[in-house]
Amino acid sequence: MDYIIHLALMSGIFIILAVSLNLINGICGQFSLGHAGFWAVGAYSAAAYSVYWAPPILDFLNLFIACGIGFITAAFAGILIGVPCLRLRGDYLAIATLGFGEIIRILIMNMDVIGGPRGFTGIPKWSNLFWVYLWVVITILFVVNLMRGTHGRAIISIREDEIAADSMGIYTFKYKTMAFVLGAGFAGIAGALFAHATQFLHPNGFTFMWSVIILLMIILGGLGSITGSVIGAIILTILPELLRFFGETVSQWRMVIYSLLLIVLMLWRPGGIFGKHELKIPFFGKKENA
Amino acid sequence: MSTGTESDFVYFLYDLATYLLNGITQGSVYALVALGYTMVYGIIKLINFAHGEFYMIGAFIGFFCISSGMPLWMAFPCAMIGSGLVAVIIERMVYRPIRYAGRIPALITALGTSLFFQYFGQNTLGADPKAFPKVTDFENKTYQFGELFVSTNQIVIISTTFILMVFLYWLVNHTRTGKAMRATSFDKNAAELMGIDTNKIISFTFFVGASLAGAAGVLVGMYYNTVEPMMGLIPGLKAFVAAVLGGIGIIPGAVLGGLVLGIAENLVVGFWVSTYRDAIAFGILILILLLKPSGLLGKNRKEKV
Amino acid sequence: METVLETKNITMRFGGLVAVNNFSLKLGKTDLVGVIGPNGAGKTTIFNMITGIYEPTEGDVLLGNKSIVGDHVALITQQGICRTFQNIRLFKDLTVLDNIRLAGHFKMDYGVLASIFRTKKYHAEEARLKEEAMELLKIFKLDTKAHHLAKNLPYGEQRRLEIARALATKPNVLLLDEPAAGMNPNETKELTELIRWVRDHFQIAILLIEHDMKLVMEVCERIYVVDHGVQIAHGNPSEIQNNPKVVEAYLGVQDE
Repeated sequence: MDYIIHLALMSGIFIILAVSLNLINGICGQFSLGHAGFWAVGAYSAAAYSVYWAPPILDFLNLFIACGIGFITAAFAGILIGVPCLRLRGDYLAIATLGFGEIIRILIMNMDVIGGPRGFTGIPKWSNLFWVYLWVVITILFVVNLMRGTHGRAIISIREDEIAADSMGIYTFKYKTMAFVLGAGFAGIAGALFAHATQFLHPNGFTFMWSVIILLMIILGGLGSITGSVIGAIILTILPELLRFFGETVSQWRMVIYSLLLIVLMLWRPGGIFGKHELKIPFFGKKENA
Repeated sequence: MSTGTESDFVYFLYDLATYLLNGITQGSVYALVALGYTMVYGIIKLINFAHGEFYMIGAFIGFFCISSGMPLWMAFPCAMIGSGLVAVIIERMVYRPIRYAGRIPALITALGTSLFFQYFGQNTLGADPKAFPKVTDFENKTYQFGELFVSTNQIVIISTTFILMVFLYWLVNHTRTGKAMRATSFDKNAAELMGIDTNKIISFTFFVGASLAGAAGVLVGMYYNTVEPMMGLIPGLKAFVAAVLGGIGIIPGAVLGGLVLGIAENLVVGFWVSTYRDAIAFGILILILLLKPSGLLGKNRKEKV
Repeated sequence: METVLETKNITMRFGGLVAVNNFSLKLGKTDLVGVIGPNGAGKTTIFNMITGIYEPTEGDVLLGNKSIVGDHVALITQQGICRTFQNIRLFKDLTVLDNIRLAGHFKMDYGVLASIFRTKKYHAEEARLKEEAMELLKIFKLDTKAHHLAKNLPYGEQRRLEIARALATKPNVLLLDEPAAGMNPNETKELTELIRWVRDHFQIAILLIEHDMKLVMEVCERIYVVDHGVQIAHGNPSEIQNNPKVVEAYLGVQDE
């Protein structure tokens, strides 16, 4: 039972990560490969708060503050990285964000107060299913509502055609940065929840490989589709556990399978499972298009 | 007092010379790998993420050849041809079908290919670093000039790199194939209309680029004495940085970028802190992208509307 | 007549290449003016300098009495110049309605938080935007296709949508970059009427680059002819048609 709860918890955290990356990659069309870096910034800063500064108040209040700190620090890192990098064209941006993600990890590795290469221990266990999924709902609602407003449309227009968007009077750089910073911020929240779920953080838990796995989640589900991200995140959280049933050797081949999946998806179904469409639940369906 | 500061200064010069030498050695390796990045980007505008893996494959082919008793002068071309062939196969199977799908899908595919080789290697060859066997052709001696130490390996690396670059220069600038490569990279459609088989030229470019990376892999195996499946990741990224630094698509730029990066890394590590070694390359990348995205030797170009 | 747009000796150099040299133009409040010239004469470069995509190497662009050189592309649009593109740049994967709504983006008056929390202001502003957009679509006979994706429209309608989208920014000056490119004679004829009608209905100035001589001669009141980046003639259609320089540089080539 504990095992299933843990899986559900991790699924929730990865849903937040996938949806936030989708805001940057799928919805705004800016190809970022540094999401694990923002996740790490949120996780470490939130953990630092609860280990060093947390006042003796109710746990869930502390968790809430930790999530806020995770959001702010990761969003701030997003500004630092986004403002210089977002001027770059697609493939360059990918490498630059990858580089920044690695720099963040190297910096953490060199900071002794948060454990450095030994890892950060003694983080209280404040995350539970309820709070994680509350944040999942908040994240999704935030992104969905943003998309239906004029600011969200401006963000989408950048993906469609940046020069045309500029020519329509939209300050594309502002909206690119907005998408990037918000995406980074929500990854920070995922980090805060993650830190208080696993109670232990290590810099090697936030390598480039994880950026790729989160990317694979949103590609699997379909770049630009929120429901797709949710499903992609759940599949890729549970898949490794299923592979474990086939024995250790199969489980070891997980990354090989992922990489092949990435290639095969690109070759045969570049739009992902859902493309840009949303899986519509009739009850929640929006009425606007009627 | 005065003698003290003077000898301090002399030691500083020796230190500086040592770091420069190490930097040039390492920079040569980056340059060899960067050449392939730049050539492939020049011709099909793809950041071939998997390029670092060709370097790893070259190192492993070298490892197996030399372990089986083959002398270096035979193992070296084997590694180059082997990694070149792997690249040609990958180009044919994966990159060619995705070529017209746009840059980002191609980039993701390259990323997948890179991960595939890393983890496939880890699962089949084992994740632990393996000791690179001793080369039988020559003994790795160290020569001393005052306080400066130069090893045979360093000489071999620098001179091999130099020879390969001269060869590449000749290939690109003075042969028919080279002319076709330049034509294809300048305007693929026009080249096709002129009767150039661009598919063949692209395959050939992959082959040359990957064999240079394979050569770099063997040299690094000799220099650091170890090989492992993940060894391509960071040097691959750094070689990309070197290519961007020099101006991506520009062949002399890759050499310049590689050397500058190698020297910069070793100077920072030598005179400052070693733990930030891997952060330097990415720092340089951000700087160059901000200040002169077309690279040191590149011209600024505007997007057509 | 009052001048709304003026370029004063604008020059664009790319390295050693002079794409446009000392080009000057004046556009009155409801003028309908054409810029013609052979391929590669620098026409689109002139548009790019006016709309801020390129900054002219020399010279000045005045909108009203204010210089707009150096302003951001988006800011220039917000000040009242909007354009279409030679090779249609619609937001292809968005609906027709969204294409129009995006052009109204910069006039929207609510913040990010308002859209997250769905405030009254959000609803009011969105309703206003949608209403205006639908009205415009009705004028362009695209209202029945408001929820179609832009990429699924036939070619002629895509051109029309692009003009509608530019008008949705409520410009004083509309720049059309080869609007008839790729159209058949029937569509071109419709377009001729549409361009004139847009000018009369919206009371704006229109500057037009076009290859289709018939359309330019029919619709424009004045024409500038450029060749190799230099203005070689200026006048009304009949003057242009009888100008030997133009015949030599442009029309002559066509007759051969």
